[in-house]
Amino acid sequence: MPMSIPAEPVLDASPGPHRFARRSWPPQPLAVLALAGSVATYVSLVSPLAPGHYPTCPFLMVTGWYCPGCGSLRALHELVHREIWSAIGYNLFAVVMVPLLAYWWLRWVRRRSLATGPAPLAAAWLGWLLLASLVVFWIVRNLPIGAALAP
Amino acid sequence: MSYGYPAPPPGPYGPPPPPPNHMVMAILTTVACCLPFGIVSLVYANKVNTLWQTGRYAEAAEASNNAKTWWIVSIVATAAVAIVWLGVLISFGGRVANPY
Repeated sequence: MPMSIPAEPVLDASPGPHRFARRSWPPQPLAVLALAGSVATYVSLVSPLAPGHYPTCPFLMVTGWYCPGCGSLRALHELVHREIWSAIGYNLFAVVMVPLLAYWWLRWVRRRSLATGPAPLAAAWLGWLLLASLVVFWIVRNLPIGAALAP
Repeated sequence: MSYGYPAPPPGPYGPPPPPPNHMVMAILTTVACCLPFGIVSLVYANKVNTLWQTGRYAEAAEASNNAKTWWIVSIVATAAVAIVWLGVLISFGGRVANPY
């Protein structure tokens, strides 16, 4: 989709600039920001700390083990209420991902506004490191020694 | 299948543009969807980078499709769980003992 944008003015040369304007509005990053904001607002108002507001994690319910995402709703709730240490206590991984996702979002906005092509791929080992740390986090939070990482 | 073939005509700037690796959706569905399907998506997202950087463009595109499929599976599964939970909640009038 973003790749087709540079071709737009040529395709829409006859109808005038209006279709081009409509095509690039609303910008996807703004829609994503609005969605993220709504989710954060909802989770901060309807507290996941009280039982019965959200379904229990199906993986936890079936296996009795925590999944890597267990506690992320409570962590998000605590983050919005600026209780960072409490958020870390619920899900360290989710809290670490927030600035990373924010960075990706900013980079996305920049690439779209400069109308450059798809982003170059990051070094592959970075992604594998991320995956490895996620799996380690998943295992350790289910062990007695990893109680601090459990939600 | 098309392994070893120089995929789409390389533009003036060298290799074809990298396929989307769906890393963001893989992470989001891993952290937010409570089901391990996001991990599968994350594995494929990483394969996109690895394969593309070693010049295996067709396989990278395939991994990209798989990464997308699995984060969608994760969202659909989570939505299904939420709908079932909502149904239970409604039929029991909110008197659910939630084993938090």
